Amino acid sequence: MSNLADLQLTKSGELRHFLTPEGLDRLMLERILDTADSFVVVGNQEVKKVPLLRGRTVVNLFFENSTRTRSTFELAAKRLSADVLTLDIKTSATSKGESLLDTLQNLRAMHSDMFVVRHGDSGAAHFIASQVTPDVAIINAGDGRHAHPTQAMLDMLTIRRNKGYFESLSVAIVGDILHSRVARDQIHALKTLGCSDIRLVGPNTLMPQAIDSMGVTTHNNMDSGIDGVDVVIMLRLQTERMDSAFLPSAGEYFRLYGLTTERLAQAKPDAIVMHPGPINRGIEIESAVADGPQSMILNQVGYGIALRMAVMSMAMSGQMQQRQAQANTPSSLTGKLRP
Amino acid sequence: MSIIIRGARLIDPSKQLDQVTDLHIKDSHIQAIGNLTGVRAASDIDAKGMILSPSFVDLHTCLRDLNQIQKGTIASETQAAASAGFTHLCPSPDTQPCSDAGSVISMIKNKVAAAGFCDLLPVAALTKDLKGTQLSNMESLSRAGCIGFSNASYDISDNTVLLRCYEYAATFGLKVFVQAQDQQLGDGHMHAGPTATRMGLDGIPVVAETLSISRHLQFMQHTGVSGHFNQLTSAAGVALIRQAKAQGMNITADVGIAHLCFTDTAIEGYRSQYHVQPPLRAESDRKALLAGIKDGTLDAICSAHQPHESAAKCAPFAATATGMAIYDMLVPLIQGLVAAEDLTWALAIQALSSNSATIALGKTTSLAIGEEANLTLIDPSHPWTLNSSSQLSRGTNQALANQQLKARVKLTIKGGLTSYIM
Repeated sequence: MSNLADLQLTKSGELRHFLTPEGLDRLMLERILDTADSFVVVGNQEVKKVPLLRGRTVVNLFFENSTRTRSTFELAAKRLSADVLTLDIKTSATSKGESLLDTLQNLRAMHSDMFVVRHGDSGAAHFIASQVTPDVAIINAGDGRHAHPTQAMLDMLTIRRNKGYFESLSVAIVGDILHSRVARDQIHALKTLGCSDIRLVGPNTLMPQAIDSMGVTTHNNMDSGIDGVDVVIMLRLQTERMDSAFLPSAGEYFRLYGLTTERLAQAKPDAIVMHPGPINRGIEIESAVADGPQSMILNQVGYGIALRMAVMSMAMSGQMQQRQAQANTPSSLTGKLRP
Repeated sequence: MSIIIRGARLIDPSKQLDQVTDLHIKDSHIQAIGNLTGVRAASDIDAKGMILSPSFVDLHTCLRDLNQIQKGTIASETQAAASAGFTHLCPSPDTQPCSDAGSVISMIKNKVAAAGFCDLLPVAALTKDLKGTQLSNMESLSRAGCIGFSNASYDISDNTVLLRCYEYAATFGLKVFVQAQDQQLGDGHMHAGPTATRMGLDGIPVVAETLSISRHLQFMQHTGVSGHFNQLTSAAGVALIRQAKAQGMNITADVGIAHLCFTDTAIEGYRSQYHVQPPLRAESDRKALLAGIKDGTLDAICSAHQPHESAAKCAPFAATATGMAIYDMLVPLIQGLVAAEDLTWALAIQALSSNSATIALGKTTSLAIGEEANLTLIDPSHPWTLNSSSQLSRGTNQALANQQLKARVKLTIKGGLTSYIM
């Protein structure tokens, strides 16, 4: 989608917003992963700070509850030496009837440089980047069931650091695909990075309409779905799905789609197991697997900080370049010369 | 007043008329049709290359006003309607306050009459406040001039209440208008398909429409009520109407112009101007709707005009208001369909004028000597740009804003008088 590329990149092709991997080319995704790799090293040092975002203001805008994503974004910004403001929007302006548009324009007027946005509506980050504050770098921290690009890219980082490549890999994504913003971005990222065997596993009630149009195969049977795969990505199952008739019971779900040691034996012997967290032990994954040698679940959390540092520093740099370029255009110069 | 329109292509499918000739209006009526060389009139219009047809009747529109003047006023929206060739409008009952009482209907009627651009053929609420629990005063509302009853976009989920609505309407021979969409399955933001899946928006499956059509058809058959379906969207929905008509049921149906022109892929990039209810569907559905117009399954084309202020469309997609302001772009959209050979002018005119008039008025408006002059003159090749200075509707939700368009209404005549002139 060229319009998605136009929106996320500067005229010279640098990242300035990160809304979804859709529309970004392989080179850009690999640059994000390479930059993240370098920040993994920073995380292992005694002094974990780098001065890349010194003097910049990052505002975390969480319109939805989140602990993990919010804290890793906050840590990432702090490790980049930014000034960080975290707002719990539910209890502030919008509850007084202020529109999203007005809230954001007020924050922009406070000279914020970057918004990290989590919102319940699909397309919210896209709306902000395209129509509200295009000159503030927007990082999508999850919008509705549309996208969660930093989670998807940290999953790619986890795969690359374990497997080294994407081309001949078989990847199974298991569980609640319908409500998952991560699954859609994982599919876009995996395809762009060269993976051609992407399998979605779950019952029809949790499978989005026409999902095969995204170039994946769908499997109702877990055993055939993970047969011979290199990577198993388990998705979190929200317990409220049981109440809204998507599934009969947690017990039946675990029996059919839960990842157990026996089931994992269907995958390749060196297959890795991933999960965006938080995990439901005994509902989608057995403890023996979650804590077992093939599990990468805790590594993902650590990589999450590095990946977020990468996209924050890249988008901030792109946005600054864009501002600089605009400031140097003839029209703005004339404006400055006016008495 | 006397007007001669010379050299236009006169199209009136109800009279099998498609001929380049002259037409003379005198004393509000059509005086003569044919070569009028030598005949003089107070107003003489050279209409070479233009299309003259019976005026249009809109079976579904929203005029706002009352408590929604930020979206549009009756004066602004009826003038915009006249500029699209309409002389008669059937506004939906979902006004604020709701069109469920004689007082609200007369207030709207007075405002429409004072503006003078169009005549009102109101559709009143089927249930009080459209809540689906209590019947509206249908008989009284019918006496007040309401031509039919509808629950607008609010589904009546209680079958007992719906049966009683139909039974009561049958008692007095009243027509029921239906926007067929199941409430629970319709709880989404766009057509359930690949685009919705990729964009992470809640989809509305086609079965939301077909289930509702089947349900209403059962009640219509059971009670003998004459029904009209507004705004069909899907191939499967068209098939159900075709089947019911073949069985001899006394039903009619229309399609909104947007559904004939756009598909769900227009929403790509979260473009809220294309956020409409019922939703834009797939290309195969659009083709089936066009086929429905061609074979007569779908009788009419309505505007489904829904003007909004800019803030209503400026939010994340799901939070934006639904609907498009249609009037300013209706004729260019028809011209686009004709240019793409999706439709002919004759079919479009039949669906916008004679068939709509039969449904709303019980008689056709036509180009015949002695008929009251209700006419629309279109210049199909007039180039123009739709923007804030050229549009007449107050709605800023113009999907084709700032685009170069072709075709515009030159003149609309209502009851022998000019209601719009470009």
